Amino acid sequence: MNDDIAVGIDLGTSYSAVAVMLQGQPQVLANEWGERTHASVVSFLEDGTVLVGNNAKKNIITNAENTVYSAKRLIGRFFFSDEVKKAQAVMPYKIVEGPNNAVRLQVGQKIFAVPEISALVLKEMKAIAETALGRAVTKAVVTCPAYFNDNQRQATKDAGRIAGLEVLRIINEPTAAALAYGFGKDIRQKICVYDLGGGTFDISILEIGKDVFEVLATAGDTYLGGDDFDDRIMSWLAEDFLAKHGLDLRQNKFCLQMLKEAGERAKIEVGRDGTANIHVPGICQSPEGEVLDLSRTLGADQFNKMVMDLVQRTFKVCDEALQSARMTAGDIDAVILVGGPTRLPIVRSSVRHYFQKDPMTGIDPDEVVALGASIQASALLNLGAAEAGQASYLLDVTPLTLRVGTVGGYAEPIIDKNTPIPIEKSKAFTTSRDGQDRVKIRVYQGESKRAEECELLGEFEFTGFRIGYRGEVQIQVTFEIDSNGIVNVSATDVETGQKTSTTISLSSGLSEQDIQAARDKNAGVALAGHKAA
Amino acid sequence: MDPTFRAEVDALAQVLDQLDYFGILKLPQNAGVADVKAAYHRESRAYHPDRFAALPDPVLRDTLGRIYRRINEAYTVLRDDAKRKKYVADLAGPDRAKKLRFTEADEVQVKEDQKKKIEEQFGQTPNGRKFYAAALADIEAQRWDGAERNLKMALMYEPQNAKFKEQLASVERQKPKVDQFKIR
Repeated sequence: MNDDIAVGIDLGTSYSAVAVMLQGQPQVLANEWGERTHASVVSFLEDGTVLVGNNAKKNIITNAENTVYSAKRLIGRFFFSDEVKKAQAVMPYKIVEGPNNAVRLQVGQKIFAVPEISALVLKEMKAIAETALGRAVTKAVVTCPAYFNDNQRQATKDAGRIAGLEVLRIINEPTAAALAYGFGKDIRQKICVYDLGGGTFDISILEIGKDVFEVLATAGDTYLGGDDFDDRIMSWLAEDFLAKHGLDLRQNKFCLQMLKEAGERAKIEVGRDGTANIHVPGICQSPEGEVLDLSRTLGADQFNKMVMDLVQRTFKVCDEALQSARMTAGDIDAVILVGGPTRLPIVRSSVRHYFQKDPMTGIDPDEVVALGASIQASALLNLGAAEAGQASYLLDVTPLTLRVGTVGGYAEPIIDKNTPIPIEKSKAFTTSRDGQDRVKIRVYQGESKRAEECELLGEFEFTGFRIGYRGEVQIQVTFEIDSNGIVNVSATDVETGQKTSTTISLSSGLSEQDIQAARDKNAGVALAGHKAA
Repeated sequence: MDPTFRAEVDALAQVLDQLDYFGILKLPQNAGVADVKAAYHRESRAYHPDRFAALPDPVLRDTLGRIYRRINEAYTVLRDDAKRKKYVADLAGPDRAKKLRFTEADEVQVKEDQKKKIEEQFGQTPNGRKFYAAALADIEAQRWDGAERNLKMALMYEPQNAKFKEQLASVERQKPKVDQFKIR
């Protein structure tokens, strides 16, 4: 029983990591080459195997059409969403429409749901952990951005199941980071976690009292991250190249990838050294057949000017979170930085200026989330921890208001954002026609009164209640948000107390059969680059 | 699991639907904001589902989950001044048994009350707002006759507006007394 083990996995937009508790200490597990973070890139090789991680990242250029990256930007989204349209324009892999407006990725002749791609990243994390620990790993806590909605959380959980993992819990990245910092240190204070990742930005404000981590408010932007910083450098390089040579590098997906790589490298260099020398030999050929190089120098001042508005956007989100928590920046005792882009001096100095405080950077911002997740994983397995007083309790909140659709295209709130979870709330519905035998409701998440501006979670249909005249039959619908932040809806007939049956239609998620099939498919895939087990 | 705690859980699950939110958080009705938070943290330490995630018995886990969801529900209402005020008033009313849980309808009412209060500050009807704004400008400039006339006009459109009535009374008090029949 106590022999059981569970890992914590940070499933990031650009990079992922896996950690585990060993002898009471959380630690990140490295792969065979000593790498501690792994690019969330999946490359399908010609021999049918799949390469995941930093080696797969090298294939973005050479094997562009068969290499999928930044899948997290697409997870749990509908095909018609802006983010998917944006991705279609820039991604070298094919994004196609699946059933129920879902997103599917086409690689060669094969079609994948987005969770299946994430599942391959998770499979790699599982393999790394198994190699490092020398034993089987079947249980995990997986993290997601705090601002993820129900669809995205559900899809993340599905990815875990497809990878053959029992997902003990989906926890929020900022909360995990707080756990990693606060563990065993007995700090009593109000802290703010500033989490700028590859593709998402999250802010969480927590009050820590000994072993209790209460999230007071959370806010975020799922469209803002380090990738956007790269984009700015890319545009700058491309505009300049266009002016010089009259060729737009962005028109060719191959050149675009080289440009993207150069952008990312320049960002890291300028952050570390204050200046970046960008040199990409042979990025393209002119119509006359002349091979052209891309060569520029980027200084810190210039870079800061390019990205200042992005950094400022994060503080708008901070304002929002502080307001929800009824606090000002001055009330915060400590600030934790999470995510690679928080290494940039421009981000650090802006955070310092906003909070009037030096941010805490004791733990590597790329590893802190995985470490926190592993602490939570071990606590969930260990029944004795609570009695021994070793456990920490995460009191997390739901990031978005849960709403139900009403006539005229409106969505009225049921559970407000920043409500502690798990929670349940009921609402009574009545029939509107004589002899009505089914009631349909649409559930949304978002901060707008207009349904179309919120995210549709699904349409629920209730049947099996009494049939009567209109307005006579009352159905009590219970909305529950569980500890993972995942929404469950059930209904009962008020008079008879009979549970009605519920069917979900119009959902972006995978059905139980889909998951089982995907799971078998996943189990059959061989990961490249590992020694045979 | 500790047998005394087990007995406590079973007893609590039995009476859960008869307890009000103060009972669930084990608080007196006059508890302050800090007390509510402290009680919430205390109950979370005892009933947080993470503590019991590894329990083999699914029924017991469900029961504990139900208790914890109610603890969160209690905290959500009691930490919010407006919701708590309405909840306490409902508990003191004749329908106490039906009002133990704060429903979605109660929440809508709290929001409407708040909206009404804001509207009363500025007026609910376009004409009411117009005359009230004019009256405020008159008060600012100490044109008492104008203020009185405008407030009375505003009250024609919104006879129930308490804020308007209050302003009118104060204007009437401040207005210099003149004998209407005296020939100046």
